[in-house]
Amino acid sequence: MGAELNSEWEPRLLGLLCKWCSYGGADLAGTSRKKYPPNIRIVKLPCSGRVDPLFILKALHLGFDGVLVSGCHPGECHYQTGNFRARRRVAITKKFLEYMGIEPERIQASWISASEAGKFVEVVTEVTEGLRTIGPNQLFDEQRR
Amino acid sequence: MNSDGRMQQRLRHEAGALLEQDKVDRIIGFEPGSLKFTTTPLITKIKDDLDRLVINPFIVNNLAVFLPGLKGRIAIVSKGCDSRSIVSLIQDNKVSRDDLVIIGIPCPGMIDLRKVEKLTGKDRDEMDDIIREGDKVVIREGIRDEGYGITPDPYPLTLEVSDVLFDNCLACEFPTPQDYDILLGEPVASRQSAAGESVESQESRVESRGEGDSRAKRLQSEASSERSVSGLQTINYRLLTRQQRWGFWRKEFRRCIRCYACRNICPSCFCKRCFVEESEPQWLMPVPRWQENLMFQVIRNIHLAGRCTDCGECERSCPMNIPLRSLTMEMYNLVGELFNFKAGMDKDAPPLMTHYEQEEAEDLIR
Repeated sequence: MGAELNSEWEPRLLGLLCKWCSYGGADLAGTSRKKYPPNIRIVKLPCSGRVDPLFILKALHLGFDGVLVSGCHPGECHYQTGNFRARRRVAITKKFLEYMGIEPERIQASWISASEAGKFVEVVTEVTEGLRTIGPNQLFDEQRR
Repeated sequence: MNSDGRMQQRLRHEAGALLEQDKVDRIIGFEPGSLKFTTTPLITKIKDDLDRLVINPFIVNNLAVFLPGLKGRIAIVSKGCDSRSIVSLIQDNKVSRDDLVIIGIPCPGMIDLRKVEKLTGKDRDEMDDIIREGDKVVIREGIRDEGYGITPDPYPLTLEVSDVLFDNCLACEFPTPQDYDILLGEPVASRQSAAGESVESQESRVESRGEGDSRAKRLQSEASSERSVSGLQTINYRLLTRQQRWGFWRKEFRRCIRCYACRNICPSCFCKRCFVEESEPQWLMPVPRWQENLMFQVIRNIHLAGRCTDCGECERSCPMNIPLRSLTMEMYNLVGELFNFKAGMDKDAPPLMTHYEQEEAEDLIR
């Protein structure tokens, strides 16, 4: 993405949402006609425990500006422990990539239940605005030297 | 005879007894390598082979890497870091403790030949003997008289051990194995407290032999240049901005040739099928572009979270001298900070990623 396109640049956010809670939350936001940024592209996962750090890195590699992992609140996982495992994985991924030089804002996680359409809207708006301030993902671009 | 020699004698004796009494099917240890000052792993069932077993300052390999692939009862020679890798494999259910006899070496640290070569200005072929004596390393060369054979060097070079150990040995937390059945010597204390100084200020201390000032100066300027004595890029990483850090790794991984030596030599990389070789979906192209190289190493490190014991084998095996320990150490420290977890300490503890606490890392989540 060149600088000349920057004025038209819109952040692209990948949402990895758990089917039981956060996807339901997103669904509710839609059916209750709440407005949230169209920048998020959603992938429905069976559980936030399905999230592999590889998904996050691959999304950044493909050019997504940010990744949002979202699952059920702690203790409310449909499979009891999936979100706890996701939490450990996302935590080390975020911290490790920060060490390597990736902005921590690009990797986000949240707990959103199926009834929290408001929180979903809030989180997506905040994350998208955050991505807007840090700018496009040029991490994996080839730089001419 | 120095302590290495004593341990070696005892090792051969104990290993022989284990095979004779049919307590184990195999011994995994080290034998002299094809090059001077190298060793190579020895895996044997035959008692006569045991005379080739050695213990010297060059037994760098982490032998735990062989365990998941071997069947039967095994006696394994193990340094401090290797023993933690073994414990980590037991945690991951890759080997059973009951099948193992761990022959522990209280490890005084391994000598980095590149450092010795740089500090003495000699090639490996010019040295005949490198022996550890307490805190010193004595380097002798044979003087060849025409027709009269070799007479030993009357003026051996002496270096401080702390100047020539591998960087990860200098920072070693647990030189004595965590778990062992036989310990070949007295337990050694952690070297970590003494490490900070010796890594930062690598001053060459070439003693005796009365060399002129010029060489001392040259050695010092080399030591303080961008490349450390071991030949790896060193920078004060913490002072860099995020963009500079990314730029640094982008540059380093441009060199990577994706030989997968780091993966193959790593005892914690025990997957039967590695994600880099998966083709459906193909996560990574097999092409050695820096983007793919970097992704491979990042994911490898994430897989190693809670398994890596800082044995330094990945960095040693890297033919392109990429400072991989910078990454493995970060992950090691990270799991310590976030989850209060240290790899390979307790064989009954669950592996890091299969476990959780109710309250942890919540500040990272919205």
